[in-house]
Amino acid sequence: MNLTAKNKWILLIFSALAGFINGFLGGGGGVIIVALLLSVLKLHQKHAQATALLIIFPLTIVSAIVYLCKGNVDWQPTLWATLGVVVGGIVGALLLSKIKGNVAKIIFAAVLIAGGVKMFF
Amino acid sequence: MTVFLLILFGFLAGIIGGMGMGGGTVLVPLLSFLDLPQKTIQAINLISFLPMCCVALGFHAKNKLIQTKHVWWLIIPAIAMAVVGALFADKAENKVLRLSFAVFLIAVGVWQMVVAIKFIVNSRKERKKLQESKEEPHDE
Repeated sequence: MNLTAKNKWILLIFSALAGFINGFLGGGGGVIIVALLLSVLKLHQKHAQATALLIIFPLTIVSAIVYLCKGNVDWQPTLWATLGVVVGGIVGALLLSKIKGNVAKIIFAAVLIAGGVKMFF
Repeated sequence: MTVFLLILFGFLAGIIGGMGMGGGTVLVPLLSFLDLPQKTIQAINLISFLPMCCVALGFHAKNKLIQTKHVWWLIIPAIAMAVVGALFADKAENKVLRLSFAVFLIAVGVWQMVVAIKFIVNSRKERKKLQESKEEPHDE
């Protein structure tokens, strides 16, 4: 598939937005990248999620380096949380096949909204 | 206690991340329960994502799920603006960052919920159509 000029602009603008959000908020760019891969490049859900990681990885490294250089990294809590994330990640990957995709998505969306509301206070 | 909570929150977010649903968006609000500056939380989110991402990428590459065609159109602008975003974050107040994150989470949550519900409604309709077309030959 060749990209039309219009699609190139859509990719450029929205991936730039995803990059900015990922740097400014320390995460969250992946949702936008997955949506772009699904809607513009017409990838399947699984391919879109895997490919999004490839795109998010370098921009997370770059953002992390900026946070590090500006002295915004506190290593002690970072290492403890990272330990939890790695172990949880393995458990999550093993659970993946046992949960219905859309039910999980709706629960996840509800968790996000609750988290957002909580952060206001 | 804080160490325990850090590991627990990381673990919970890791499960969601491992299921491929963006664990980072869960880790940040969880960590906001602890007494940490928002910038520290965001840095935790960025750094803790990296080891998971390496493992996941290796796994997906083995299963041939990664499609590299056209990805430069996304990677280059995203990296450039990630630097800009991170520099802006350094200048911003923690309070502003926290509120921005809250707004972003709610927006993504509403958006994802609409997408998931639409998908369920559509797949039900299609299933119905399929059933009806299968039943038709018997209706003579």
